[in-house]
Amino acid sequence: MSDIYQFNGAAGTGWSQPAPMLENVENTVPAALRRASLPRWPRASEPELVRHYTWLSQRNFGIDTGFYPLGSCTMKHNPRINERIVQLPGIDRLHPLQPEHQIQGLLAIFYEMQEMLEICAGMDQVTLQPVAGAQGEFAAMRCIQEYHRDNGESQRDKVIVPDSAHGTNPASAAMCGYEIVEIPSGEDGRLDLDALRAAVGDDTAAMMITNPSTLGIFEPEIAEAAEIVHAAGGQMYYDGANFNAILGKTDPGRMGFDAVHYNLHKTFSQPHGGGGPGSGPIGVKSHLAEYLPAPLADREQAEDEGATDDGYRYFWRTPEKTIGKVQQWHGNAGAVVRAWAFYRRYGRELERMSEHAVLNANYLRHRIMNGTESVHAMPLDGAPTKVVKHEFTLSMSPLKDAVGVTGKDVAKRLLDYGYMSPTLYFPMIVPECLMIEPTETESKEVLDKFAEDFLQILGEDPEVVTTAPHTTDVRRVDEVLAARSLILRQDFEE
Amino acid sequence: MDQLPNLGREQEMLSAMGFESIDDLFSDIPEGVRRSGGLPLRGPQSEEEIWADAQHLLGANIDLDSRPSFLSAGLARNFVPTMVGMLATRGEFLTAYTPYQPEVSQGMLQAMWEFQTMVSELVGLPVANVSMYDASTAAAEAITCAVRVKGRKAEQKGVVYVSQFVPPHRMSVIENYTQGGGIELRLLEHGSDGRVDLDAAAGARGACAVYVEQPNAFGELDEGIAGLKEIIGDKTALIVGVDAVSLGIVEAPGAYGADIVVGEGQPFGIGPTAGGPIYGLFACAKEYLRQMPGRIVGKTVDEDGLDAFTLTLSTREQHIRRHRATSNICSNETLIALMGAMHMALLGPEGLERLALRVAAATEATKQAVCSIDGVELVDPDTANFREFAVKLPGSAADALAHMDAAGVLGGFDMGEWWESMATCLLIGCDERTSQSDIDALVSALSSWVAEVSA
Repeated sequence: MSDIYQFNGAAGTGWSQPAPMLENVENTVPAALRRASLPRWPRASEPELVRHYTWLSQRNFGIDTGFYPLGSCTMKHNPRINERIVQLPGIDRLHPLQPEHQIQGLLAIFYEMQEMLEICAGMDQVTLQPVAGAQGEFAAMRCIQEYHRDNGESQRDKVIVPDSAHGTNPASAAMCGYEIVEIPSGEDGRLDLDALRAAVGDDTAAMMITNPSTLGIFEPEIAEAAEIVHAAGGQMYYDGANFNAILGKTDPGRMGFDAVHYNLHKTFSQPHGGGGPGSGPIGVKSHLAEYLPAPLADREQAEDEGATDDGYRYFWRTPEKTIGKVQQWHGNAGAVVRAWAFYRRYGRELERMSEHAVLNANYLRHRIMNGTESVHAMPLDGAPTKVVKHEFTLSMSPLKDAVGVTGKDVAKRLLDYGYMSPTLYFPMIVPECLMIEPTETESKEVLDKFAEDFLQILGEDPEVVTTAPHTTDVRRVDEVLAARSLILRQDFEE
Repeated sequence: MDQLPNLGREQEMLSAMGFESIDDLFSDIPEGVRRSGGLPLRGPQSEEEIWADAQHLLGANIDLDSRPSFLSAGLARNFVPTMVGMLATRGEFLTAYTPYQPEVSQGMLQAMWEFQTMVSELVGLPVANVSMYDASTAAAEAITCAVRVKGRKAEQKGVVYVSQFVPPHRMSVIENYTQGGGIELRLLEHGSDGRVDLDAAAGARGACAVYVEQPNAFGELDEGIAGLKEIIGDKTALIVGVDAVSLGIVEAPGAYGADIVVGEGQPFGIGPTAGGPIYGLFACAKEYLRQMPGRIVGKTVDEDGLDAFTLTLSTREQHIRRHRATSNICSNETLIALMGAMHMALLGPEGLERLALRVAAATEATKQAVCSIDGVELVDPDTANFREFAVKLPGSAADALAHMDAAGVLGGFDMGEWWESMATCLLIGCDERTSQSDIDALVSALSSWVAEVSA
């Protein structure tokens, strides 16, 4: 094991620096505030650290390592040109508060991205400020909250979410102060309109829902659901986690939604980075547009060609009734620039991207459900529909009943085969659930091989599967002990 | 389009499933909501074309390194060691999701555990999370966290005092995050010398929390804050927002009684990047652990007894606790925190101290030079400053900035954009890269403007 505190770079620092401009400057710090002892940080040289972090990277699994079918996370290939672009000083070395005339190129990219996202989702105005999907949800619910208040309807204090919703939906609404009303899905996993009718009222602020649902199926009665919510005076919020399935085929605007968030780290390939950064822009219909977080990128005809040679002068605009800020600056601009480069790669062919995401999901589902390996028990389809969208769910209950192998066991065994596990035990309405999303950037060969390996696992000696993984850097990790003993940092006394 | 490995093989795959066309796969979308005719967007581009356009558009921006720059206002024009970008963008780090499967994610988990250790050491508190979105959301969620912990026994129910010098864009984030929780924000006043009014602070005793910044938005260090915890008492949480680099020479707030410390992590690990992605630091005392937002990594063992790391205490989080979660945060800024960890590890304790001294020295040198201009005065003449200082000008700061801009100098930040009453005040930010020639250029540009307005 490589231990960062075992190095002893003899110079005491891995990175030498010039001397300070003035001597004895520590005396400018009031005596009462002078630091008594320095933090116990490692003392390592660059060669030691390069090896340390290289070693760590080799103990980490990314899309670059292998197939990453993590449902609802859209783990697609991250084009490397995007990383090269964000190294340009025109983005890396920019301050968000520079005068507008110094950052015309950034504003032009923001404007293009706002417009593109508006078109793709059928919305009237987009802001790029929220830096994660959950923050987008929160920002949009704040806009809806202020909209209701301005209409004298502050009694609308409830938000409806289906029981299959992502956990962030109820958490984001609750952070705005909303009470959550959870409605059960119908037996087929779809939205239950009767349950929705029973839930709405003059206290309904909004309904939050994703479509395709977390089961990977398209809600056929979404327009009717929107009518029910709107008739009760509520707003419709679209969780864009599953947006990758529908570009060019339908859009939230057509489905009747008033607000939507996008996950640029899913649909538009901002790398997930082991847990972020993300980017969660929101789009709204015109009646909510003046509530959006400030500022928005806007433009007007320039007298000359403009700094970016397109005839426009770009500027920041503050919406009239803005909720203010949810992030300190203008959002994760670096992620927006990466997503812009990704968009440029496809342009109007983003529709082809969605087609291939759906093609791959259906193909993989077909290969698994019609495979020929001998198995102890086949999984049940989480939603037995003819087609799915970008992902599908499998219930491993039959396998558990037959030989005691759980969904988690199968997930861990997949690691031995060199795959990342699918999303596990979500949505909760499918027992022993595995949620699989292959994305459009996996080849047919990878999908064929995964289906074959997956079925092989279902036929393996249960003892081997329940004790998996066997070949990973560490074996099954004791999470109960982690939560009980809570060792959250290095202990120098030990 | 060149990113689709199955392009041209659609028919083969469709036939295997018994479908005829791609349209069959979308037959479940009702006609009433279907979209047809294609997206009205531009055509696809090749990598070479995208690169050319990126260079054209981003090249139209004026970057901070291309001229003397004194614009900071909460972000740092830093220098990030070359190793950081090269190692952090290794695909295994860059393209991983949140480490839900610890058996194949030990690398990022260990790196984040080391990050937690370094942040904990930096601020002097035992617990640090894996990152918040930025300093502002860290401050906002520190307040809601403190209210959850201190709310029940608080004598001033739901009340939180916030320093009146918290800049408005951060205040706006705090307001958005707290308005739903029945939290009443009251301003904690500062005296005419810029320091927290300690008599006023006594009025915060019994509230849920007090939030102050050290240094404050004017870059001023306030020794009174070191005695604040004693004044407000144990029933009230002390939350301190810091300039992370300053802690190389300024005392860790944990050492003077802070319960939660937050701050902008950006100076460690990444350039200002037009405001994001950056990352927020969040550290707290043990009492707050189970109510804190964000991801946290714990050390444990695997089945064979080997040391292993895993995300822990996830029962606080939205994917388990749903609307009762401590926060809605899931994606955070892990990769940027990793870059921060690499930067901190390269510096080491003495490297951190030197970095802080360099920033302090640049601040002091710039301050002395600017104050030598007749007509330019410090807003608070008796305070020590770190990274930033505010001066009062003989005219509008916006005009002064425009004049300096024309001379090729990014002279700072117009404080009138934050507070109308400060429209003649300029916030000047320094960093480890501030050079004597930068200072000379600033003084020359500012002097010529002062001469113009005084004429």
